[in-house]
Amino acid sequence: MELLRSVYEVAGFILLIALGVAALEGYFYYHFKFHDRPWFFWAGLAVFPLLVWSGFVAGGIAKPGLFAWLFAIEAVVLAFFRYAVKGRHSLAYLLLLPAFVGLALLLVYPFLFEVYLSFHDLKLTTIMMWKNTGKIPFVGLEQYVKVFTTSPLSEVTFWALLGRTLLWTFSNVFFHVLGGFALALLLNNAISLKGVYRTLLVIPWAMPQVVAVLAMRGEFHSQNGFVNIILGRIAEAYPLLAGLGVGPVQWLSDYPLLTCTIINVWLGIPFMMVVILGGLQSISTSYYDAADIDGASYFQKLRYITLPLVKPVLMPAVTLGTVWTFNNINVIYLVTGQAGGTEQADILVSALYKAAFTYNRYSYSAAFAIVVFALLFFISVTYLHGFDAAKDER
Amino acid sequence: MATVKFSNIVKNFKDNQVLKRVDLEIKDHEFVVIVGPSGCGKTTLLRMLAGLEEISSGEIHIDDTLVNHLHPSKRQIAMVFQDYALYPHMTVEENMSFSLRIKSAPRKEIQERVAEAASILQLGKLLKRMPKQLSGGQRQRVAIGRAIVRQPKVFLFDEPLSNLDAKLREEMRVEIAKLYQRLGATIIYVTHDQVEAMTLAGRIVIMNQGVIQQVGTPIEVYRKPDNLFVAGFIGSPTMNFIEGTLRVEKGHVRFVSPSLSLDLPASLLPAEGAHEGREAVIGVRPDDVYAGREAGKNCSQKVDAVLEVSELLGHRENLYLKAGDLRLLATVEAFFNQSPGSVVPVCFNFENMHVFDKASQKRLSA
Ligand SMILES: Nc1ncnc2c1ncn2[C@@H]1O[C@H](COP(=O)(O)OP(=O)(O)O)[C@@H](O)[C@H]1O
Ligand SMILES: [Mg+2]
Repeated sequence: MELLRSVYEVAGFILLIALGVAALEGYFYYHFKFHDRPWFFWAGLAVFPLLVWSGFVAGGIAKPGLFAWLFAIEAVVLAFFRYAVKGRHSLAYLLLLPAFVGLALLLVYPFLFEVYLSFHDLKLTTIMMWKNTGKIPFVGLEQYVKVFTTSPLSEVTFWALLGRTLLWTFSNVFFHVLGGFALALLLNNAISLKGVYRTLLVIPWAMPQVVAVLAMRGEFHSQNGFVNIILGRIAEAYPLLAGLGVGPVQWLSDYPLLTCTIINVWLGIPFMMVVILGGLQSISTSYYDAADIDGASYFQKLRYITLPLVKPVLMPAVTLGTVWTFNNINVIYLVTGQAGGTEQADILVSALYKAAFTYNRYSYSAAFAIVVFALLFFISVTYLHGFDAAKDER
Repeated sequence: MATVKFSNIVKNFKDNQVLKRVDLEIKDHEFVVIVGPSGCGKTTLLRMLAGLEEISSGEIHIDDTLVNHLHPSKRQIAMVFQDYALYPHMTVEENMSFSLRIKSAPRKEIQERVAEAASILQLGKLLKRMPKQLSGGQRQRVAIGRAIVRQPKVFLFDEPLSNLDAKLREEMRVEIAKLYQRLGATIIYVTHDQVEAMTLAGRIVIMNQGVIQQVGTPIEVYRKPDNLFVAGFIGSPTMNFIEGTLRVEKGHVRFVSPSLSLDLPASLLPAEGAHEGREAVIGVRPDDVYAGREAGKNCSQKVDAVLEVSELLGHRENLYLKAGDLRLLATVEAFFNQSPGSVVPVCFNFENMHVFDKASQKRLSA
């Protein structure tokens, strides 16, 4: 019975979406198809606002004045289709429509709402007022000032977090590329069991991150973790190394950011490896033949041929990797975010998450998120310029 | 000073034997063209000489030095690849100077050598361009320039003209011939195009299925092909082949086939008992098949043939003839005023005729 109900719910949901898409398509079909008929305006105005309005009424969320608004909007849409679009490219737009509407609902609306929030003051003390009256106090740029002057957590400042985030991002991406490159170079040779190695190496990427991170976190446990057990054994076996300070370490409490970095490096290498391997395999072997005859050593071939020729595939991957790592809340939150967790490993986005959902400072977090967005935007654009220049070289 | 010697070279790719006991000596300053159909192992042989492919067995000497285990860069060879293999991210100048730069040669020397190669090949204006900004012929020249800069003892060319269009190919052929005269180096040139081989080579090496078929000057391989393969491969249009049986009759050999029979002169094939009953193939080039008026004045032993199609080439004309069941191609002087379907007398120039043993495919005639 449980199962039947789930099936029924899912089917109903899919049906609802299909109906929604069909309604949308029908709505725009009318505007494309009949834009030059004499009855275009009055039929549109008579039908659509009424339909939507009755939908709102049936849902019990109609407000006074709603009908006038719908009427005005429809008038604008009708005029737009008659005088601007004039029925052109109708098929193309009708096919694109569901995707556009989906994106608007999932991306544009939340983003606009976030911008709205960031100029107001929504927090634990004002949320009831918002629910009851629909109004929250407007505060202008105050939230943005707060982003740079107060701490999103209990102690660490924005600037410390930013430094830590940059350190975290660049060290991670650096080791991703280094490890990915090394493994890709090994796999690009004619070795036996290549397929097996490749599969094994891709596993951390293929596994759900939550599972992978929690499993790794267990391995860094101070008493029962694999890492400390090995370190303990090494210290026992080689007293000399133990004298140099090798031994079990309180990973999670003493070095939380380092632990997160190690785990995330392990998680991120497969992606870079796969991308770089693809790049390596696309390099024609005749360049290496020519370089052999020209007398290039292994490292000269790496430096003067392999690197420049994988750059076009490497740069987009590095950009993506940078954005993902900068935004990577999973690893940090899962390793350190539990009750009693430390703030020593928090980066901008994990602090943002805590500010929003632990400390309930919604407007502050909205402003914070927009600042983070601006930073990432700047970094990405810089990278993109970088590889446009690289492309011109070729 | 550079001689190259292949001794008993064998190459196996897993179970596939690509080269079967290749023996070849190349003298100093020689222009040798290795020619053969695609897949016969020419590239493999060249790559083994360059050190890019392992040698399964046998020895390669350059100037009496065994190079089997010498690194490619130490063999003092330079190779021009079929796809040019210009480094796509380097300018023409950087491509040409790469071998010197990675050795950290003095900058002055690099400049001089690049400038010299550029002037030989008229690349001066292109030095700052990227390979993708060049036409096919220009890329070809840059690839040759890169080889010249290394000042090698032996130049290796692997089908360097196969990616160019017909007109450019002719131009580059002349340029390569000039280059050879100017550089005076040893050149080993691989191609599947027998016209390139005939026009460029000092000596031609004809290969088929990993075996050398014949080595000789262009005239030798054209006039006296050692076997049926060489006879069919060299020369354009292709030689006519007629299959039949030999009979030894009073003082001469008679060739008998269902469509025609010929008394072969003693100068072509002396009468010997050994030839009696032998299955043979006669080869005769289209130029040595006389038809119509030419047949009238030049020879005895005429056969009647039906003209099927004629193709005007300009000053020559190709006639597709049929004598009995036998198809023959004759190339005669234009204009051959006969319409298709008419019967024309045909005869052969015995001086340039070839007789091969069908079983061994070897040449029988002198
Ligand atoms: N790396 C390789 N592995 C396996 N077989 C090869 C390899 N290279 C060439 N061959 C085979 O060797 C034969 C000769 O090739 P190649 O020397 O390139 O011929 P050519 O240059 O005369 O056209 C071909 O049958 C080809 O399939
Ligand atoms: Mg080849």
